[in-house]
Amino acid sequence: MDISSRPVVVKRMPERVNSRTAREFLRDVQPFLTTDRPQLVFDLSQVRQLDAAGVEMLLRCMSEAHKRDGDLKLAALSPQAAVVLELTRTERLFEIFETSTDAVRSFSGFLPNAMRQQLLHQKNTSAPLAA
Amino acid sequence: MDIRALVLVNSAWDAAEPVVLSPLPPALLEVAGKSPLQRTIERLNECGFEQVLAVVEAEDSQPPATRNGNHQCIVPASSDRFWRIAENAFNEMAQGGAELVLLIRMGAYTEIDFEKLVQFHLNQQSRVTQVAHQGQPIEVFCISASRRNDAASLFRSQLSRCRSECPLFENKEYFNALSGPRDLRQLAIDILTLKAESRPVGNQVRPGVWVADGAIIEKGARVVAPAFVGSSARVRSHAVVTRCSAVEHHAQVDCGTVVENSTVLPYAYVGAGLDLAHSVVGLGSLANLRRDALIEITDRKLISFASETPGRRFLNSAMAFTTFLPKQIWHGMFGKSQPQQRDLQTALRQTSPALGSAAGYNASACDTEAAGEFPSNLAIVRRYGHQ
Repeated sequence: MDISSRPVVVKRMPERVNSRTAREFLRDVQPFLTTDRPQLVFDLSQVRQLDAAGVEMLLRCMSEAHKRDGDLKLAALSPQAAVVLELTRTERLFEIFETSTDAVRSFSGFLPNAMRQQLLHQKNTSAPLAA
Repeated sequence: MDIRALVLVNSAWDAAEPVVLSPLPPALLEVAGKSPLQRTIERLNECGFEQVLAVVEAEDSQPPATRNGNHQCIVPASSDRFWRIAENAFNEMAQGGAELVLLIRMGAYTEIDFEKLVQFHLNQQSRVTQVAHQGQPIEVFCISASRRNDAASLFRSQLSRCRSECPLFENKEYFNALSGPRDLRQLAIDILTLKAESRPVGNQVRPGVWVADGAIIEKGARVVAPAFVGSSARVRSHAVVTRCSAVEHHAQVDCGTVVENSTVLPYAYVGAGLDLAHSVVGLGSLANLRRDALIEITDRKLISFASETPGRRFLNSAMAFTTFLPKQIWHGMFGKSQPQQRDLQTALRQTSPALGSAAGYNASACDTEAAGEFPSNLAIVRRYGHQ
């Protein structure tokens, strides 16, 4: 179960995300979305204007990533982006992190308690055998 | 005793902000049906002031505060001649026989007890009395009309300096600094929750719900008290207006949108299926109070505004009507068919219809039904993934 071996792609979104720039951005990230189990982080720290087409593009990217068993996470949301995502009821669909580093770490560093217990148990049970 | 009032309005929004909610200053923006200026003039009239004159800084000839009448008492003035015109107005009042002139600069909206103020001024036998709120002087003065030099000194220093020492009258009544969107929102809340003396315009159709004449609340829309819907405003089907929200005149809240603890300023349009909370919506801009962000929204599907001219509004709606049918036929014939949404969609899960095809996005990973298809440990990963 080696989650961390796959690369995480971090992409910074442009300052203005309207229908034209959203199309261009989607074209840029398309190769990463079509890989097996894509892991993407979009950095929205520079976004000053985000419209419905931009939000639609984000949802499309997330949908594509999920189709291939991957995930898309958002990081460093500017107030403008956060307000628009909240307004369009889409902020709850994404995992949102304070920084891109946190978002990248979350792909590998996160293990739920249940899984951690299981791994710990496996480790404990295998240790005496090894000895 | 001849007491007159002079109200000055030249306080604009914070010039440092690149985006403004409205071209009008806060004192001229309607809150629960009336602008703070109108409310102040009405209070002065009720208190029996002989003459009330407002000098309003405006580049165009007709300031919008005159919408509900009071044409005779509002004088528009250009920014460079504002203080000169204000001083002249004061001098005319003094020459016209006024003994006391109450000078109010807005900015701030306050419900001063004018009788007590005048009594205080007379008792102190001072030339000029200034009002203070919680120890801080505010720009409200009571001036003896015969003391023109003191008045001139005040006007020439833009109310920052008085020639003689002026005693402070402590105001214990309602006060709102009206310095930005947060204060504007607070004023709406205070009016709707009856903390301010001033009341919303219109009829109270249910306890706490005020609806002005000509407002349209479509079938299926909900207005939850306390709330206000202004004249000719429209709350469309399945929209919800709740928690001290105010939809001002000619504003429109489109289908399925939730307006919670927000103010929709006059002529503003809020798109369909949105979640507007803790905000003030202006003309193509939105101030989110929780995030303390004032942003410009250029997408007309989200936030937009109607024209102030009735003719242009009629043309726009006629155009929208004529293009609606061909657009629907085109979509019906050539558009991609969308799968029927299952009945598990709740208001929380739905995204805005303004987002077009992606609006039907189904977050299968968060879906409780879909979660059953995955191994149990994977479902746990997704369920707590946001933490």
